[in-house]
Amino acid sequence: MNLPPVDSVFYDTEYETMPRDEITQLQEELLLEMIPHAYEHSALVHETWENAGVHPRDIRSIDDFVERAPFIDKNALRRFRDERGDPYGGTNTVPPDELTAIMSTSGTTGDPTLVPEKWGGGGPRRPAIITRDFWGMGVRPGDHVALVLFTFRGPTYGLFQGLGTIPILFDFDPDEMQRFCELSLRYRPTGLYNFGSVLINAVREVCDARGYDPRDVFSSYKGVVFAGEPLSPRARRLAEEWGVELYEHCGVGDVTASFECGEHDGLHIWEDTAFVEEIELADAGDGGDRKELVATALVNRTAPLIRYRSDDIVRVSRDICACGRTHMRMWPIGRKGDEVVVQGKTILPIDVWTAVESVDACAMGLFQVIRTGREVDRLRLRVGYAGKANEASVRDDVGAAVLVETGVEPEIELVPNAALLKLGPPHKIPRVAKS
Amino acid sequence: MTPWGVGSYEGPGGREPWEISHEEIQRDMGTASKTLAELGVGPGQRVLFCSMLSEAGQFWPLIVGAMLSGAQLSCADATEGEAVRVAMFTRLIEYRAVLGVTPAILDGLDALGHPYADVFAGIEVIGARPGAYERLRAAGLSPRRFVLCGPAVAIADAPDAPALVSASEWEIAGDGDRVVVTGRRERATTFERTHTAVRGDVVGNGVVWRT
Repeated sequence: MNLPPVDSVFYDTEYETMPRDEITQLQEELLLEMIPHAYEHSALVHETWENAGVHPRDIRSIDDFVERAPFIDKNALRRFRDERGDPYGGTNTVPPDELTAIMSTSGTTGDPTLVPEKWGGGGPRRPAIITRDFWGMGVRPGDHVALVLFTFRGPTYGLFQGLGTIPILFDFDPDEMQRFCELSLRYRPTGLYNFGSVLINAVREVCDARGYDPRDVFSSYKGVVFAGEPLSPRARRLAEEWGVELYEHCGVGDVTASFECGEHDGLHIWEDTAFVEEIELADAGDGGDRKELVATALVNRTAPLIRYRSDDIVRVSRDICACGRTHMRMWPIGRKGDEVVVQGKTILPIDVWTAVESVDACAMGLFQVIRTGREVDRLRLRVGYAGKANEASVRDDVGAAVLVETGVEPEIELVPNAALLKLGPPHKIPRVAKS
Repeated sequence: MTPWGVGSYEGPGGREPWEISHEEIQRDMGTASKTLAELGVGPGQRVLFCSMLSEAGQFWPLIVGAMLSGAQLSCADATEGEAVRVAMFTRLIEYRAVLGVTPAILDGLDALGHPYADVFAGIEVIGARPGAYERLRAAGLSPRRFVLCGPAVAIADAPDAPALVSASEWEIAGDGDRVVVTGRRERATTFERTHTAVRGDVVGNGVVWRT
């Protein structure tokens, strides 16, 4: 696909603004192509559908699919992998010797799972993720973009080069932030992919120590994408003080990804890449508009996940966005697996974040909720701190702040920030730990 | 020249930016394909790259070289926290080569309680960086030297041998105990006896580092 004119608001106007009924029609066509392919070639899908007594010939429409298709989740994939000795968990649909790459998921919810890939043969039919999103932010061919990333997903920078931009490559590491500041001032990039609270705090420290003006460092950026976990209130405040336009980015059930647009009113999911449903939370009674996100691949024919339960709690809308795009939006709320119930109170990591980072020694916002089960007697937190702070004082301050924020008195284990940072996955630390 | 990106290399004073062109990346892909073939990485074989994104200028040619040669590739960051990913990969997949093993990954394996001999069992080519090479040898394995001499990738063609850079692209020499690198062909960034972070002895187009 040729690049659009530079003054085009959208990268792919036809697809990004496709009327709802045409999106649905396109999804149905893609779904009805994908289901027999997945059933025939994915051992996990085949077994799951056979056990449910459902066959692809039973599915002739989206309505049939929603009514009859069985769900799959990550535990099913891991179980298939471990019980059958299939490293791909039954997801791979192509002969193993035709694969180009074997990548892996982040490992946020446990051990990483393998992602088989066939480059040039299993990808989207039209550029979608990243390409449409960064174009929408105003990034154009010839611009520099700062990539602050890990490598486990593979060479993501190729997508930016396909857009005609020039990537500047950084590790997702607070120690890289001095170089980030220097090269931002030198090359004046227009896009950044991607940041997080820890890195924003690290930029502040570098600017304080080196005398850089963070407003100047970020002055050329039209969009700064953050991902992996919600931005902490402190980091968001800092970024806003610096004039940074933040764009949230989030995975969609290991099937596709979503980005905010310039309206900052939800994250767009490109519905020509995935069919997304939202289902009631099983154990939440009336969860209101909070639902669990379920995604089905429409274009990934190498390892298609079909009706994949993400464990992500979201709110969604299919109303047309003020930006003009017609594709659905979602608002991430949390993960089902992160929730703890203490003394009858439901607590998610975001609920203690403000309290932790309000203590200067813990400004990086590094902490873990120790979750031995969904319902626990005590709120146990492992909290990172910097420098040579008085541990007893820090523990008392954090405890008091968490009590005010949540109404629950926590039990706190203090550890150096570095001990948490090295836990990975590289773009975030696990906010929930079993021990 | 057409800009490909801005990578980095380690100099004596820290990480330096490195402007890279598509033209040199194309040449480096060809070189990388040959290097991988010499390591036995070809059709039906698998290779795991342990690297950081800031090292993409050095590793991208290897990644594409693996793809062009019909091999399959995997990627992990070269950090302590990624030891769990490296161990997962080698447990589930049979690799011909793991390239770029760092001391940090070995620290992570230590923390996980995974013996190196188990994690790297059956892997023919273990390309280990300074500090990791010595630890793997002490554990009874036969790693090969792997080091980034500034912008140039150096990989040994046999255990105990020096790590070799592409003689058609790079000239390396010693300056005191530092390895310096000179580009033999046109690049977006000029390298002329540029000092690298590597300390060691140069033998032909090979380097034996000192730790």
